[in-house]
Amino acid sequence: MIVPMGHILAFSAALFLMGLACVLARRNLIMILIGVEIMLNAVGLTLVGASALWQAIDGQIFVIFLMAMTSAEVAISLAMVVYLSRRRGTITANDFDGMKG
Amino acid sequence: MATVIFYILGFTALAATALCITRRNPVHAVIYLVNAFFALALIFFLLGAPLVAAWEIIIYAGAIMVLFLFIIMMLELAPTEELRGPGWLRWGPVVLLSAVLLGCTLLLIVAQPMAGTGEAAYYATPRDFGYALFDRYALAVQIVSFQLLFAAVGAYYVGRVERGRR
Amino acid sequence: MNASLLFLIPLLPLACGAANALFGLRLPRAVSVSLAVGGAAGSALLTFVLWPLATGEGTTVTLYTWLESGTLQVPVELLFDRLSAPMALMVSCVSTLIHLYAVGYMKDEADYARFFALLNLFVFAMLTIVLSDNLLLLFLGWEGVGFCSYALIGYWYSETKNANAGRKAFLVTRVGDVFLGVALLWLFSLFGTLSISTVNAQAGVLPAATLTALTLLLLGGACGKSAQLPLMTWLPDAMAGPTPVSALIHAATMVTAGVYLLCRLFPLVSLSETGLAAIAVVGAATALYAATCALAQREIKRVLAYSTMSQVGYMFLAVGAGSVSAAMFHLLTHAFFKALLFMAAGCVIHLAGGENDIHAMGGLKKRSPLLFWLFLAGALCLAGAPLSGGFFSKDGILLAAFAQRTPLYSLLWGIGVFTAFLTALYTFRLLYLVFAGEPRKDLHGHALPKTMIWPLVPLALLGLGGGLLNLPGLLGGSSWLHHFLGPLAGESPEVSHGLEWGLWGLATALFAGGALVARARYRRFKPGREGAVRRFFLGGWQADALVAALILRPFAAVAYFFWKGTDDALINGVLDGLARGFQGAGERLRTLTTGRLSNYLMAMAWGTVIFLGWFLLRTLIP
Repeated sequence: MIVPMGHILAFSAALFLMGLACVLARRNLIMILIGVEIMLNAVGLTLVGASALWQAIDGQIFVIFLMAMTSAEVAISLAMVVYLSRRRGTITANDFDGMKG
Repeated sequence: MATVIFYILGFTALAATALCITRRNPVHAVIYLVNAFFALALIFFLLGAPLVAAWEIIIYAGAIMVLFLFIIMMLELAPTEELRGPGWLRWGPVVLLSAVLLGCTLLLIVAQPMAGTGEAAYYATPRDFGYALFDRYALAVQIVSFQLLFAAVGAYYVGRVERGRR
Repeated sequence: MNASLLFLIPLLPLACGAANALFGLRLPRAVSVSLAVGGAAGSALLTFVLWPLATGEGTTVTLYTWLESGTLQVPVELLFDRLSAPMALMVSCVSTLIHLYAVGYMKDEADYARFFALLNLFVFAMLTIVLSDNLLLLFLGWEGVGFCSYALIGYWYSETKNANAGRKAFLVTRVGDVFLGVALLWLFSLFGTLSISTVNAQAGVLPAATLTALTLLLLGGACGKSAQLPLMTWLPDAMAGPTPVSALIHAATMVTAGVYLLCRLFPLVSLSETGLAAIAVVGAATALYAATCALAQREIKRVLAYSTMSQVGYMFLAVGAGSVSAAMFHLLTHAFFKALLFMAAGCVIHLAGGENDIHAMGGLKKRSPLLFWLFLAGALCLAGAPLSGGFFSKDGILLAAFAQRTPLYSLLWGIGVFTAFLTALYTFRLLYLVFAGEPRKDLHGHALPKTMIWPLVPLALLGLGGGLLNLPGLLGGSSWLHHFLGPLAGESPEVSHGLEWGLWGLATALFAGGALVARARYRRFKPGREGAVRRFFLGGWQADALVAALILRPFAAVAYFFWKGTDDALINGVLDGLARGFQGAGERLRTLTTGRLSNYLMAMAWGTVIFLGWFLLRTLIP
């Protein structure tokens, strides 16, 4: 491998944390979803790196499944964003506080 | 050489992601994210997964991010006020990042950075990939295709405009 | 002559009382009232008829076993012997006469069924005390008379004063009942049985300290019921009840129950010198105390109440001096003349139109001469006029006390003598203020119904002639009661004839002295201002205030502390504090549920971090 697995893992972890930070800190629903995308990509990177390390192809196959699922998930979540935007007129997460105790 | 390119691409991806998550304008965020995905695709190529790299571009950057843009544009979620500050502060980062990515791509096409790194052991050709996918994971493929159908139906249903409203 | 007929003696009034309680108001008044009188009269008749059973050793009959638990065996057992028979006869006869009196007294009362039911119930309970051969059965009767007394004193309960008087009587006698209860339990633990015959027979095996302690406990119980010091505060207030109640319960029967208890258990009590001395001291002290208070009273029935207290004190003195026959003699004559006096007092109040302050009465002799003569008969007995029943019985007691010849008993004899003088004094004061002279206030009275005045006649005759019951040998009598009681009579004092004549002369002199002083002071009486001394005696030496200060107020303070300090502050405080703490914590925790997605995601992320961190630490730290 061109780089030690540890570097790939570190890189992937950094991406994941950035994605997590985006999810937790942003209030715009679109930005939250983007954060999710970043995290999923970080996972994909880990899988590909592992596939290279163990010289097995299964990691890459899993990545394709991951991408397929992600597209499905994005489709539905964006449809829901559209719905919320139409109903409430806002997509700021803090405005949806109906579960407030 | 491949190692150097890897590190360059790595930092590019991290910078692009960092910029992405800090943008107020979602459209800008999406653009930066596309840059990051591009960098990640090149990394995938360096790690012996050309098919996955291609799909990263096609599906992720090409379909999913475009879908994001569709929704952002449709719902007019982007703030339209003009950003203050000089123009190069707005365009600079993305141009820089894109230039780095372009350079790396050209390098990968022209030079052979992978030669001599023992890469052939883990390089997954499309042929190998296809065999593995439809041989061992055929059931999973079927299930995932069902799932895509459900998602499509679900997305249609959630997003439809009801009669009698507005 | 079937011995089990003995059970009808107490059960007949019980049945009539129960009938009156259940259906009394539904029956015609005449029937209900006749039931009541018939219950008491039947009891008296039966006692008279079954009298021969009492001679010799007496008769014991068992009805059934009431309680049976382990070693405790409580049979419903009656002992009809030479002590209980005269007492039972007195109780039933006097009750009958008082029932007749009550028929007239309560003729305007709408709630008569309750009254007569309670009166009959009382007779049942009293006869149970008298006839019972088992201490627990006696205790049942003891509590029964306590309850009936409470219910009857507070008969007109709609006036708070009466209800309070009833409650006071109940609570104060209850204090005495505690002592009796403790004595009962102790006796059971010592002997394994509560049979009076067994206890009396085996009393000799106990050590002296135990005997003294038991005697003092029994004395405590007797003091409660008989209104002796220190449990006497209830008797004057008990006059709030109807007059028949005062006559029956607080003259003839319940207040003598204490004396009867001590006489019944005399074989046990007499074995303790200290105990007897204590009884005598209590009796003499109460006699003096009550006589001084009676001198200052203004209500006619309160005078008689204190007088009762004083005379019962004499009976206690007799028991303490060791002579049961003297005590029983005085008990019997006192029952007669005191019941007479109370009923006559009721008639006086009736004649005076409801007025019972003697300072406002006067000249009632002209209104009803018959009443005056009857009252005079009772008064002569009370004051100890020579040859009346009261003279012989009181003198018997003083003789017994004198015959002991110890310094203590001589002192008590002296107190008894002085109290006799006071007795004569207050009796004649009462007579002069009520009957002599001119009316001091305009009194519109009602005429006396026949049933109110005629039952008094037999009592007057019994009172005056009661001396024949125990006429001493000096005057040719045979001391019939003393010999009848036989082994149960206690000591018979042996004194020389000269001494006996001397004591009789002293008694006569006291009687005459008291009468003359009263005549001088009260014949032409103008009510004036009352001094502080008079007020002190009027308030019963301020005993009520003393009890209130010593017992009631500290108790109320303790109760208040336990209420406010403990229950409110501590328990409620802790609970409220706990509740408020939880509520506050809940409020603060509630702020966590913002309903915001970001916060929930953050919580999830932190949870995952902690979770993974924990596993990491577990693998890192061995």
